[in-house]
Amino acid sequence: MLSRLSRSVAQKAGSKQLAAASTSVGARRTIVQPSGAERASVVDLPATYKDESHFTPRSDMLGFKFEMPRREGNVKEKARPIYLDMQATTPVDPRVLDAMLPFLTDQYGNPHSRTHAYGWEAEQAVEDARKHVADLIGADTKDIVFTSGATETNNMAIKGVARFHKEKKKHIITTQTEHKCVLDSCRKLGEEGFDITYLPVENNGVVDLNVLEAAIRPDTSLVSIMTVNNETGVIQPIKEIGALLRKHRGIYFHTDAAQATGKIIVDVNEMNVDLMSISGHKLYGPKGVGAAYVRRRPRVRLEPIINGGGQERGLRSGTLPTALVVGLGEAARIAKKEMARDRAHIEALSRRLIEGINSQVEHVVRNGDVEGYPGCVNLSFSYVEGESLLMALKDIALSSGSACTSASLEPSYVLRALGAAEDMAHSSLRFGIGRFTTEAEVDFVIKHIVGTVHRLREMSPLWEMVQEGIDINSIDWSQSQH
Amino acid sequence: MATPSRQMILNLYSSTLRTAKSFSSYNFRNYFVRRTRDVFRSIQAEKDASRVQSMYTEAVQDLAVLRRSAIVNQLYGGWRLAVEDPSKPVLERSDN
Repeated sequence: MLSRLSRSVAQKAGSKQLAAASTSVGARRTIVQPSGAERASVVDLPATYKDESHFTPRSDMLGFKFEMPRREGNVKEKARPIYLDMQATTPVDPRVLDAMLPFLTDQYGNPHSRTHAYGWEAEQAVEDARKHVADLIGADTKDIVFTSGATETNNMAIKGVARFHKEKKKHIITTQTEHKCVLDSCRKLGEEGFDITYLPVENNGVVDLNVLEAAIRPDTSLVSIMTVNNETGVIQPIKEIGALLRKHRGIYFHTDAAQATGKIIVDVNEMNVDLMSISGHKLYGPKGVGAAYVRRRPRVRLEPIINGGGQERGLRSGTLPTALVVGLGEAARIAKKEMARDRAHIEALSRRLIEGINSQVEHVVRNGDVEGYPGCVNLSFSYVEGESLLMALKDIALSSGSACTSASLEPSYVLRALGAAEDMAHSSLRFGIGRFTTEAEVDFVIKHIVGTVHRLREMSPLWEMVQEGIDINSIDWSQSQH
Repeated sequence: MATPSRQMILNLYSSTLRTAKSFSSYNFRNYFVRRTRDVFRSIQAEKDASRVQSMYTEAVQDLAVLRRSAIVNQLYGGWRLAVEDPSKPVLERSDN
């Protein structure tokens, strides 16, 4: 008893001594060195650790947790966010999948095989799909070339036409608000010695026809202007641009209609378009397939990027992915059939969303032309950071700009081209409404957006200053000497 | 083929609606229910007998596609969306 007591006393005394020593000497290391929480790190999880949700988020995941429900077992447990990013991609329509499935199972023939039934049935399916795509844009069946997507089509059209005519013509016109793949193709051509004009747009995102006409030179070979912008939904006056370019001989007109086909009425003959890009997964079709419209009368000549077996008029060699092509064809057929119904539905939801947010939140600016495509609503919430808004809205899958640039925190170049101030470009959110969006989802979004914006503004010192009537722009933020 | 009777159309309507409701995915289910109602309302409003005939045939074909799609969707779809469960309490962060 006594010995036990004495030992514990000795221990206590010893620990006191140690503590005293560590406090007096400070950083000197002793045998028992307490380590602060700031130096703690998880080296390995104990084998008994069972929590499946443990996952270290990467910095580019914006604080979201990666919670992938597994197929087997209880899929009903975790709620998935609602999807409101239809400009990035759209879900595959179940009817499209139904049309594709036979070609992923039993009808696996190569559509270019001419010697047996497997090839013939696949070829027949591809030609039917070609017809559906051609019908959607008012083209001739033979004008359609299947590719891997709108990015490939844009590359093929821009580089192909420019390089084919490089001996005589070295000038290309495009706009500042184009998709990254158009701008990057042009940048590449610029390195090869071509002259590129990037047209500015007006504050509503529309190209001024006078500016375009002034930019045309005798050696202009190609003008590339997108039909519907992917970030703002602005619809360019393609018909007027086509009529203008028709007056100048030898200028080819390419339009990136990835966001437009199947959503608004597009007619290549009415618009006088020579080349057009179509993407499968923006019209409820599968990813990995797209189409190019290349006019045959008058003939548009271009140098193919991919050479090989000479499929697709030699413009895009390589075996066609039958199932994907059939999916694109079926998606185009459904889009043409359902366009009026979809349009009415999307317009109603879009109006509901804009009115719902505008009635409850002040200082909201809609970016881009109000007359643009209603399925793409780009709103800027002043005095709120867009990324923090996205982070707080964990139950809604939204984006602040295009998917290609969503990894960077740079403000959108499209919004900057529209003349938006830096802070407004930073605080933008893009709402993509589509065929499968419901009214309940829109109401859910309104409720959450309104709550989150109010909460974030409550935290913001800028918002407090605005409420007090201080003009933010008049403040000199720098701490420099005066 | 004769024009479909009122009973035939109603039968087709109810089986299409039942199939549409059997989709597991929230968005698809809602869309096809809405679309079915829409399509059959337009058949109801149609006066021209031959138009009714062609719309009926189309709806029969659509039902076959929809049945297969619903089965595939039941196999692979059906994750619950956040909007489907309004009873869930809204959790606030303690540091807010």
